[in-house]
Amino acid sequence: MIEVNKLTKRYPGRTAIDQISFEVGKGEIVGFLGPNGAGKSTTLRILTCYLSATSGSAKVAGHDIFRESIEVRRRVGYMPESVPLYTDMRVSEYILFRARLKGLRGQDVKRNSEEVMDVCGLKEVGRSMIGTLSKGFRQRVGLADALINKPDLLILDEPTSGLDPNQIRQVRDLITQLGEKHTILISTHILPEVEMTCGRVIIIDGGHIKASDTPQNLVRRLRASGNVRVELQAPPDKARDALKRLPGVKDAVLLETRQDWYTLEVTTESNTDVREDIHALVLRRKWPLRELYRKAASLEDAFVNLTQTPTAD
Amino acid sequence: MRPFFILFLKELRAFFLSPLAYVVMALFMFMNGWFLARFVEALRVQASQHSLLYLMFEPGWFWMGYFFLFPLLTMRLFAEERKLGTLETLFTAPVRTSQVVLGKYFATLTLYLIVLAPVILYFLLFQAITGETAAFTPGSLLGTTLALVLIGMFNTAIGCFASSLTSNQLIAAMLAFVGVLIHYFLGFLQYFGAGTSSLLAEKLSYFSTVEHMRAYSDGLIDSRPIVYYVSFSAVILVLTHHVLEHRKWKV
Ligand SMILES: Nc1ncnc2c1ncn2[C@@H]1O[C@H](COP(=O)(O)OP(=O)(O)O)[C@@H](O)[C@H]1O
Ligand SMILES: [Mg+2]
Repeated sequence: MIEVNKLTKRYPGRTAIDQISFEVGKGEIVGFLGPNGAGKSTTLRILTCYLSATSGSAKVAGHDIFRESIEVRRRVGYMPESVPLYTDMRVSEYILFRARLKGLRGQDVKRNSEEVMDVCGLKEVGRSMIGTLSKGFRQRVGLADALINKPDLLILDEPTSGLDPNQIRQVRDLITQLGEKHTILISTHILPEVEMTCGRVIIIDGGHIKASDTPQNLVRRLRASGNVRVELQAPPDKARDALKRLPGVKDAVLLETRQDWYTLEVTTESNTDVREDIHALVLRRKWPLRELYRKAASLEDAFVNLTQTPTAD
Repeated sequence: MRPFFILFLKELRAFFLSPLAYVVMALFMFMNGWFLARFVEALRVQASQHSLLYLMFEPGWFWMGYFFLFPLLTMRLFAEERKLGTLETLFTAPVRTSQVVLGKYFATLTLYLIVLAPVILYFLLFQAITGETAAFTPGSLLGTTLALVLIGMFNTAIGCFASSLTSNQLIAAMLAFVGVLIHYFLGFLQYFGAGTSSLLAEKLSYFSTVEHMRAYSDGLIDSRPIVYYVSFSAVILVLTHHVLEHRKWKV
């Protein structure tokens, strides 16, 4: 559905994206994840033919984005980052206008408009001025616009930014629901969003692609340096030394003291689970233990890990 | 072609849904109605060798209001879209930039004609009510109308261009006003230092809106101003197109 090949975009004085390549297959929901200024919006704007690239090429829905831009635009539903809308139009009026502008004719204009307004929960505000809508509703109007001509591909730039938690959940559910029928590329810097909705994540930072994998695989790769927490009753120095001597343990530090209970954090090497060894150790030493807990690495850790290493690769 | 009509209609609709439309129309009608009444009065008091049309459109009163018209009609065209960010939704829809430019241009031109229509109507009304035939000839009224359409085409294009340059409607309006005025006064340059270079003066007179208007309101329909206004409007619209496509340029 999307094939990006060594795409580069230079603004005067800065390179926003640098030779990025990736693919999105039909039916996938892909999260485009990166901190602010990573180049997400720039990439999406190029793919939707709003900007041109400095070099490189891309095909969207089977058409070259530079040579057949009208064909591409016919097949893509795009919601820009700030959800720009004509504030002095009514919701239904705007949706009808966009439907016609995107080439729908006759019966389809009305039918599709009603359908998307239904799907996006806009029925009740159909007659409201867009300028008076809350952010959540504006977001839905943008989404309805993106859906109006039943596009093969949906490109959504930070669809949940600026929403409250309830609205975020609603939009996320809507996206999951849409994912059953559409290919979706969604950019975000919010992690749970990706974890919950996307089958694959492309992590971008500083205009470079850092990773492209399923959220699960990204996390698994990161198990590398897991963390285990132990709360026990023992002379803290002795406990620390004993823990450090266990195979696979890189470090152990005292975190907290609560009366005579000590909490230690144990850093382990890649893909080793030292919980059984710790259990054996405390049994041997007869140290009372009341917590043994392995902190699962999250996508957040993966994200931080991949985007905070100061241009290591 | 279809996107052109859809954008054309949207633009017209937007204008008539805004209060600005009615303020502009009312002011323009009132001002010119008043001017006309003054000139009729003047003619009644003292005979003149000029026609009523000539008096109305000779440099002066009419043009003062006239030049405010274009900035007001065109300032929001692209500036508002830029401000709202809707240029992005507009140009990611399957429409060509040329269709957008022409849709907006012709919608504004149509508005201009709607605003202008009452002024022409005044003359017809005057004619019908008074039954006077001496006030002006049909040919001169036709010429005047044609000249106003041509000048309007050009000035609307200037306004479009100005609006495409900025996201601030006020700046767009001022740019348009300055553009329209500079063009108008270009026509007066020929009077300065006339005689020193009559060739230059002659060349400058080709740009002179005043000259064009004078000839046309005498019923002399010259083809040169037609070519001049139409081709220059086209050039300015092409420039507007380039400004809007500028975001796609490779740097
Ligand atoms: N129109 C522009 N002109 C110059 N620089 C820009 C422009 N748009 C974005 N940038 C720069 O390009 C980089 C990437 O921006 P963007 O794609 O918007 O990032 P993101 O959407 O991931 O936050 C940023 O450093 C930003 O400052
Ligand atoms: Mg962005």
